[in-house]
Amino acid sequence: MPPQPVQFSAVPGRTHFPSGTTRRDFLLRAGGGLGALALASLLDGQNLLNPCRASDATETHTSAALKPHFRPRARRVIYLFMHGGPSHIDLFDPKPDLSKYAGQPLPESFGKVQTRRNVAANPLLAPLKPFRPRGDSGVEISEFLPHIARCADEICVLRGCHGDSVNHPQSVYQMNTGSILMGRPSLGSWVSYGLGTENRNMPAFVVLPDPGGGVKGGPPAWGNGYLPASYQGTTMRPGKNPILNLRPQPEISPQQQVRALDLLRTLNRHHLQQRDFDGQLAARVESYELAYRMQATAPELVDIGRETAETLQLYGIGEKETNEFGVRCLLARRMVEAGVRFVQLYSGDTNGWDAHNNVEKNHGTYCRRTDKPVAGLLTDLRRRGLLDDTLVIWGGEFGRMPMSEQGTGRDHNPWGYSVWLAGGGVRGGMTYGRTDAIGLRAVENKVHIHDLHATILHLLGMDHELLTYFHNGRDERLTDVAGRVVKEILA
Amino acid sequence: MQLPAREGLQRTVALAMGLLLSLFVQSVPAADDPQETVIEEAPITSGDRDHWAFQPLGRPDVPAVDDNGWATNPIDHFILASLKSAGLSPMPPADRRTLIRRVTFDLTGLPPTPKEIDQFLSDSADDAYEQLVNRLLASPAYGERWAQHWLDLARFAETDGFEHDKVRPNAWRYRDWVIDALNRDLPYDQFVRLQIAGDEIAPDDPDAWIATGFLLCGPDMPDINSQIERRDTFLNDMTGTVGAIFLGLQVGCAKCHAHKYDPISQHDFYRLRAFFDPLELFKDRPLSSMTEPADAQDAQKSTAKDLPQGRVARDAPGEPPKSFLHIRGDFQRPGPEVVPAFLRVVNADGQTVEPHPNRVNSSGRRTALADWLTRPDHPLATRVIVNRIWQHHFAHGLVRTPSDFGIMGEPPTHAELLDWLASEFPKMGWSLKRLHRLMVTSSTYRQASHPDESSREIWRRSIAEDPENQLLSRMNRRRLSGEAIRDAMLAASGELNRTQGGPGVRPPLPEELLTTLLKNQWPVTPDADEHRRRSIYLFVRRNLRYPIFEVFDRPDTNQSCPRRDESTIAPQALTLLNSKFSLTEAKYLASRVAKKAGSSPSEQVTACYRRVLGRLPNDVELAASMQFLEADAEKLRQESRNAATRSDGRQPPDNSDRFKTDALTDFCLVMFNLNEFVYVD
Repeated sequence: MPPQPVQFSAVPGRTHFPSGTTRRDFLLRAGGGLGALALASLLDGQNLLNPCRASDATETHTSAALKPHFRPRARRVIYLFMHGGPSHIDLFDPKPDLSKYAGQPLPESFGKVQTRRNVAANPLLAPLKPFRPRGDSGVEISEFLPHIARCADEICVLRGCHGDSVNHPQSVYQMNTGSILMGRPSLGSWVSYGLGTENRNMPAFVVLPDPGGGVKGGPPAWGNGYLPASYQGTTMRPGKNPILNLRPQPEISPQQQVRALDLLRTLNRHHLQQRDFDGQLAARVESYELAYRMQATAPELVDIGRETAETLQLYGIGEKETNEFGVRCLLARRMVEAGVRFVQLYSGDTNGWDAHNNVEKNHGTYCRRTDKPVAGLLTDLRRRGLLDDTLVIWGGEFGRMPMSEQGTGRDHNPWGYSVWLAGGGVRGGMTYGRTDAIGLRAVENKVHIHDLHATILHLLGMDHELLTYFHNGRDERLTDVAGRVVKEILA
Repeated sequence: MQLPAREGLQRTVALAMGLLLSLFVQSVPAADDPQETVIEEAPITSGDRDHWAFQPLGRPDVPAVDDNGWATNPIDHFILASLKSAGLSPMPPADRRTLIRRVTFDLTGLPPTPKEIDQFLSDSADDAYEQLVNRLLASPAYGERWAQHWLDLARFAETDGFEHDKVRPNAWRYRDWVIDALNRDLPYDQFVRLQIAGDEIAPDDPDAWIATGFLLCGPDMPDINSQIERRDTFLNDMTGTVGAIFLGLQVGCAKCHAHKYDPISQHDFYRLRAFFDPLELFKDRPLSSMTEPADAQDAQKSTAKDLPQGRVARDAPGEPPKSFLHIRGDFQRPGPEVVPAFLRVVNADGQTVEPHPNRVNSSGRRTALADWLTRPDHPLATRVIVNRIWQHHFAHGLVRTPSDFGIMGEPPTHAELLDWLASEFPKMGWSLKRLHRLMVTSSTYRQASHPDESSREIWRRSIAEDPENQLLSRMNRRRLSGEAIRDAMLAASGELNRTQGGPGVRPPLPEELLTTLLKNQWPVTPDADEHRRRSIYLFVRRNLRYPIFEVFDRPDTNQSCPRRDESTIAPQALTLLNSKFSLTEAKYLASRVAKKAGSSPSEQVTACYRRVLGRLPNDVELAASMQFLEADAEKLRQESRNAATRSDGRQPPDNSDRFKTDALTDFCLVMFNLNEFVYVD
């Protein structure tokens, strides 16, 4: 099927009321974000859920917003973001030469290197743990990650990734939005914008932050930028209050709230009647129904009480070191299972994987926390048949330098590093691309962040050149004016 | 999409050309081609200047229309003329109660008090409405409201953004300057001149330097390795923002290549940037005297320490640096040298940039730019500002893309009215207050936004023939901004702290939001009274929007925002229904109402309606509300008894007063969630 351009009404103020359009407009926006709540049951009787049958829905707008450009390989995404910058040369990119030349300065042949902390002249640091070929495929993975290593045949390691900044926030933004500047829409927002949500009871794009602290660059990392607000990532957390203001204040009982909502409905309807049943006002009345239903849906989703002991164990839930990340990985599975389009998990507090002075200790800690949960997630998705159309992404904002810092640490390296993908139409058990002999720069089959984004959109059935949003005089894209789909890794 | 045919075609052609151009750009010069140093600049053709926005400002005659006494001022003649040619009639005027609520929110961002409403309703003077408008414009709340519109454009925040999102301790002075400038009705040309070149124009007036904080509002990445890149990014952003705000053109699109659709070359972009290239950036300064040479200022550090500091613009000492076009926007690839010059397409008479030799310790370049941008005959700058003001009063601009007057923008719905206003505004002494007065006293503004029995037929035709309300055949209903909702809740509960000015205030944030920040990024302001200040005074952190503002479409502060979305999403309902703030204000309102109205439920309901909606309840509403109060109190009593019985087997004392109070609180919470509260007719 030839790709079809996605047409959206992007200029603010172009859509206006008070005909039925308002209601539709609301539903569409709602479909993208938190406002998506509970539309299914609400709309069942009105045929609005299925745009093809909808009596009064604008076909073009609705279907374009929800239909991919071509047949997707992946329908949803789980993005495991290792904040701080995990070391590719210690985890997924074996460098025997680095062991050989450890202690020596970077050979002159490598030329000038831009680094964050002036480490260019520091001696090289050998990989901290041995690598071994794993699985049938023989993909080499370090002993830092024994559990993920057992899933080697599922994953495709992109070893030639590269970005544009040696700084954290710029790189966090770039990995999420394509731009090193803040304020652009994130990948999850673009995906929600392009595909909408499968579960209208839940937001399309959910973020599960690390409870230890914020990422460098803050919430704009999952922001909607210039896309409408409903496309931003909604942060959720385990427990009774998974979403901000989901629950009434503790002193208000559920029955009490029901009574208040009844009165609210009565008075709002009275008002609506006097306003000629204005669509905008009607939409707002409905938003309260949706909010109310969401109060039931969201806590159910984060309630892992009915998962089997075996499943909990698989994710390392109940074990001290893996419990926290394990729970979030399990929630990620529950969410994609329920039809959430894009789930992003952050591992690492404000410093996270940023191992400037002791890679072994830092990565030891973070690998122990995440290795079993991530492997558990892959295994669980596979056995439930979800991995075929769920794309799992693992990576940080950059990798780390082959040179040492403060003896046993490593500085940031955006010039060459690894990101891996699994499931969702990606060939497992392979590596693609190469860094140089010591892992300093990507040199072969390089994958710039724009290329990575283009590939992710492609797997989701979208042409990155056609997924555009007209903003301030320009058809903006996630991939700016670049991006190549890495077809070589498609299954 | 409903576009007039000609403009639709023009847009299609532009799109097609843009597509061709992009193919060309993608295929011809390789991205890393070191030979790519000759950048052609296409000359401006007369065809380029045919676009409506580049045409000289006209002075259309006010159309003569048979108005049957409807028109109040010239605006109405233009509006009525186009309504008539479409066979439509305006809606009848809104009733007085609707009108005072509309104009008070519009001009001050606050609801009218019950007393103000009573006064206006009982004022039989012919000019009662005009007097009301005058009073509102004279209120300090006017500046507090309208400053936010400007700060949205300026992308004002009190932090840098990026990793550390460092606090700019003096940024609030600029916010206060804007509020004050609006309140004292600083003529708009001065308003612009001072923000671009206050340090040059009034070197002995610290207040004027603070105005230049405008140029320094954007995000900044102080930690980036390359300080050259930091400066380059900041200057590009400044240039694009100035172009968008004052010229209404997306000049920033021409940073890497010629603008795809508009006649703006890359040279044009870097010539505009050259006005700012001499700036010395990233340094707060003592507010002593700009006439001191910079090094003398540094030498005075010990004394300067005691002076207040300001985030102000200033040229670096010495000769201005040379300016270059950057090939593909890459600062590491300087192309041809450029000198400051005005945008060619709107500089038909080729005005050159005159140096200002009398400027002390400064290049004088920004003064030249400010002078040009405030020419009374400037075809863009004048149209752009009157359109922005119009938009805030009427929900949409006469040009519905307020920061894009280029080919891809929308054409004006009333081109002649736009030109009439744009040419009239300088003659009004650039007085924004006069411009507001003209707009809000028009009959157009006073139209009803929904029908009553007598106007149903007019309404039906208005909806059918003018569905987008492009002709203004009725008034637009508006949703309040998040700031206005919060302020109105505080006003209704009687808790609004009207203190003006000063550093940004940080009320407590929910724990779950704090964890998305770095540590200590939100130290709560110790004095709890401060937490109830007007929204404009809340601290603006770039990396975290205040939650109630965020759900109600406050833009992030990274790019200039000319018009906010008005979305309807469920998190808004969750916020107003469940947030701690809502419940707290509901309690305050309940206790105020109980104090004033006593224990009579009907008096209580009436008092709530007056405070929250500015009107009395009708019979249906009164009955439903009273029934609620009674039933809710009774249920609360039962529930409390059941709970107590379950836990310790004993009956609690039947404290019916407490349940009545709680029921009244529930009722107040409902009031804050009403459509009528959040929307203005």
